[in-house]
Amino acid sequence: MTAAPPHDHLHREVPSDDPRVQLDEAAGTFEPVPPYPPRTEREAEFYTLGDGEMFINMGPQHPSTHGVLRVVLKLDGENVVDLDPVLGYLHRGVEKLCENADYHHTIAYLDPLEYISSLFCEWPGVLAFEKLLDVEVPRRAEYIRVLATELNRILSHSLFMGWMALDLGGLTPILWSFIERDEIAEMLASLTGQRLLFNYLRIGGVNGDLNHDFMSRLGDWMTRATTQIDNNLGLLNQNEIFVRRMRGLGTMDKETAFRMAMTGPNLRASGVPLDFRRAHPYSVFPELEFDIPTRDEGDCLARYLVRIDEIKQSLRIIDQCLHNMPDGPIMAKLPRLLRPRPGRAYAAVEGPRGQYAAYVISDGTDQPFRMRIHDPSFVHLQAVGTLMPGHLIADAMAVMASLDPIMGGVDK
Amino acid sequence: MTAMARSFSRLTLGGKILFTLGPILFLLTIGLVLLIAIAGKPIVDFLATNIWLVRFVVAATAVLLMSVPTAFLIIYMEMKIIALMNLRIGPDRVGPFGSLMSVIHGLKVLAKEDFSPTGADRLVFTLAPVAVFMSTIMALLVLPFAPGLFGADMNIGLLYLFAVSGLSVVGLLMAGWSSFNKYSLLGGLRSAAQVISYEIPLILSVVGLLLLAGTMSLNQIVVKQGGWFWNWYVFQQPLGALIFFIAATAEANRTPFDLTEADSEIVAGFATEYSGMRFGFFFFAEYVNVFVVSGLIVTLFFGGWNAPFPWPWPITLNIDPGSLGLGLLFAILIVPPLLILALAAPFYLGRSSMPWWQALIIGFVLFNLLVIVAITGWAFVSWNWVAGLMVFLGKSYLFVFTFVWMRGTLPRVRIDQLMGFAWKWLLPASLLNLFVTALALVVVNK
Amino acid sequence: MDAALKRRLQARFGERLTAPIHQRHDQTEIRIGPGDVPDVVRTLHDEADFRFIVLADLAGVDTGSVMQVVYHLWSETSSDWLRVIADGLSREDPRVPSVTFLWKGAEWMEREAYDMFGITFEGNRDLRRIYMPPDYQSFPLRKDFFLPDDAARSPGAGVRHMEQSHTPTNAKAATLIRKTRA
Repeated sequence: MTAAPPHDHLHREVPSDDPRVQLDEAAGTFEPVPPYPPRTEREAEFYTLGDGEMFINMGPQHPSTHGVLRVVLKLDGENVVDLDPVLGYLHRGVEKLCENADYHHTIAYLDPLEYISSLFCEWPGVLAFEKLLDVEVPRRAEYIRVLATELNRILSHSLFMGWMALDLGGLTPILWSFIERDEIAEMLASLTGQRLLFNYLRIGGVNGDLNHDFMSRLGDWMTRATTQIDNNLGLLNQNEIFVRRMRGLGTMDKETAFRMAMTGPNLRASGVPLDFRRAHPYSVFPELEFDIPTRDEGDCLARYLVRIDEIKQSLRIIDQCLHNMPDGPIMAKLPRLLRPRPGRAYAAVEGPRGQYAAYVISDGTDQPFRMRIHDPSFVHLQAVGTLMPGHLIADAMAVMASLDPIMGGVDK
Repeated sequence: MTAMARSFSRLTLGGKILFTLGPILFLLTIGLVLLIAIAGKPIVDFLATNIWLVRFVVAATAVLLMSVPTAFLIIYMEMKIIALMNLRIGPDRVGPFGSLMSVIHGLKVLAKEDFSPTGADRLVFTLAPVAVFMSTIMALLVLPFAPGLFGADMNIGLLYLFAVSGLSVVGLLMAGWSSFNKYSLLGGLRSAAQVISYEIPLILSVVGLLLLAGTMSLNQIVVKQGGWFWNWYVFQQPLGALIFFIAATAEANRTPFDLTEADSEIVAGFATEYSGMRFGFFFFAEYVNVFVVSGLIVTLFFGGWNAPFPWPWPITLNIDPGSLGLGLLFAILIVPPLLILALAAPFYLGRSSMPWWQALIIGFVLFNLLVIVAITGWAFVSWNWVAGLMVFLGKSYLFVFTFVWMRGTLPRVRIDQLMGFAWKWLLPASLLNLFVTALALVVVNK
Repeated sequence: MDAALKRRLQARFGERLTAPIHQRHDQTEIRIGPGDVPDVVRTLHDEADFRFIVLADLAGVDTGSVMQVVYHLWSETSSDWLRVIADGLSREDPRVPSVTFLWKGAEWMEREAYDMFGITFEGNRDLRRIYMPPDYQSFPLRKDFFLPDDAARSPGAGVRHMEQSHTPTNAKAATLIRKTRA
């Protein structure tokens, strides 16, 4: 005999003078209103319709939500009045999984967080473990890490260009930028063995040394990378429709950007030259020369252009890495089973979307006691709540695309 | 006989079709024969006195029949050309270079479930695609394809055309409203706002041309542009042509003005809830509309079926095959095999790996192509409507290509930019165009 | 390690720290009581000595005996990450003041901590579940989370598979009878 499952709260009685019940009766059962009383004031405020307003349920299968995001929009005509993003459609519980894996296995769980920039998801975890273990990473390994991650940054940014255009209705740029992306993916595949989820960084080094295939592909690509990227940019940068739609859209000033806890290109587009490669140096970045591109406008166009400039800086860094690449081992000497002393470590890297960070607590066993993963997409996505209202639906999409969230990272 | 003994429900699909269509056709044939035998003479007499009825039926049928291949061709163009612009391969499986892909798409939408969502207004939901498709088809009726090749030559042809093509917005609005979906509703409202706003500059841009031409009959407008290409109205009305092109792009809901079906914003706009052949009607109507708009631009501003230079047609080729007598029979018997052999010989001799039968097949195909080219060429030079049709279609598809090209290149504008552009720029510009044209006419005529 | 930061922190918050300042690698760690969070964080954010304007991370932690909320801050006045740990939250009813008055962007991170640990952030305007379903009852990252218990409590408990919920339309009568009897 089984007891009734304790989910009676689903069938809670709702008072009939509740406006949402009246709404349901008026419009059928198709409103995206939750079937339970509001839990917070904010929710109650959001799910109450004003005069002439309507809800529209965008996602989780909408063409331009960059994955499985659901956004409930409150519209007045075509103007977005308010919105309520609903997350969790891609939640995998990575933090919980990491608590039950040993330190080496954890890296494989970090990989698929942001499937566009996998190396940047691995890196903070690996860095934090190295801090816990007091490991010295060989210099060659550090250079290889920088080389591979900067390639990954270009990959991510060139895809962003395509998506940005696609959300504005341009068909061609995404396919052009996929050429770029494919070449880099092939390159990294010959280095790491995989095209998407590289699983390449290791605690104390990297998984494999530079090989001939990778070097020849990279050399071949570097000779024409600038021209190729400029070609792609020509489609958008001189396009009057594109520029007019992006300029002055979704403007975010410096103070708001800090208040929204933003990092990365989205913060730099607001005029703050904060780049953790310089602001909190890690790896071999103090030895490398590169600029931090910033823009003062803080609008969608600025966020787009900052990323474009970053591609060029990444090319510079790759060039320097290739010239300064030292010889030596690629892995530190480490035991198979890692049991770091009890302690806490925090490590952050500057990724294509902002600050990727990991916070690890060790209790002396071979598994992390607590593994906290900080993902920039998650933080940046809440900015749509302040940027979207007051714009048209079409612009709302452009604003969201310009923040460049990846739902794999948002939902962890 | 076993098939006959089976119950109907156990037949295969082919069997069902055969056993349904066969009897129907048989009965129809018998009925027709009886009809002709009993009432043949009066019907023929009636039709002979009312020839316009025949003409209308024939024209309507022809236009309906040509709309589907036209849509197929433009869909294929769009798939393939955009693919090439995107540095993709595009369709390449069905037919040569994938050219039958759009036919497969057509069959696919036919085979899909005819679905209407809960809460939809069934009647309006069903009628909306028909309304859109009909308005497009009716617009085709007055386009002059070639000298003498048009559905109807109305003296208010242009007015009729604008009136009918403006009807399509009713269909879109019906689709948007009846779908019981907010995305559809937004799409329908967007299309209403857009089409109504752009209708005004679209019509005003042509008024200058009408002043010049002095007629609204599309045939007369084309005839007046005859001769050399500088007689085309585009050179007398460059601003009008530009405004017309932009406004027509918006009328046809093409990129960069395809807000009604902006997939990154409102999923598929008015067509969100449609599937199967109902969606197919929208789809076909859109592409036929592209052809109509291109044809209209060509008719009004680019000389219609006039070639860019005074075409020396009709040239009559004085070939009288009868004069050969018995030799004609021999020629028909002997020339084809000889030519096939002659065409096959180089392939057979030039490639040692090719078996003789393959060479013969190649020779046969080449010979047939040669005959087709010869016959078409003969028709082209000796029948002026064939030449006119070729010229008209060539020019039209050039504009179709332009529309496809724009779709491959440009992003989408925003709704307020779209409306602002229509009211703040296109409308004053078209008024200016009208004013300047009228002034010029007054000055010149004095 | 930034010794100057340690001195400044000791001087400014000496009496409020519940444990000695701990430094390792590039991190400086201070522990405070949950009630002091708004004051301390505001001081760290505003005062010219500190200027910790970037909220790098906000995490909940369950140590097994108490709950903690961990803030990571960055400032250009120091080369260290500053880790502020609001220590000693009770496991039965963990409560801590929200920092959304300083960083609006902390809202979702606090929602996540609430979702995963059940920590209530007082002052967060929208504290509801963010990843898990709204009618979910457990807190998955707590150390006493037990999967079978959670499955019995979850909204999906007792839901049959899709294949089980319908009998096939073309089933024989005997099958139907057997199914109804079973």
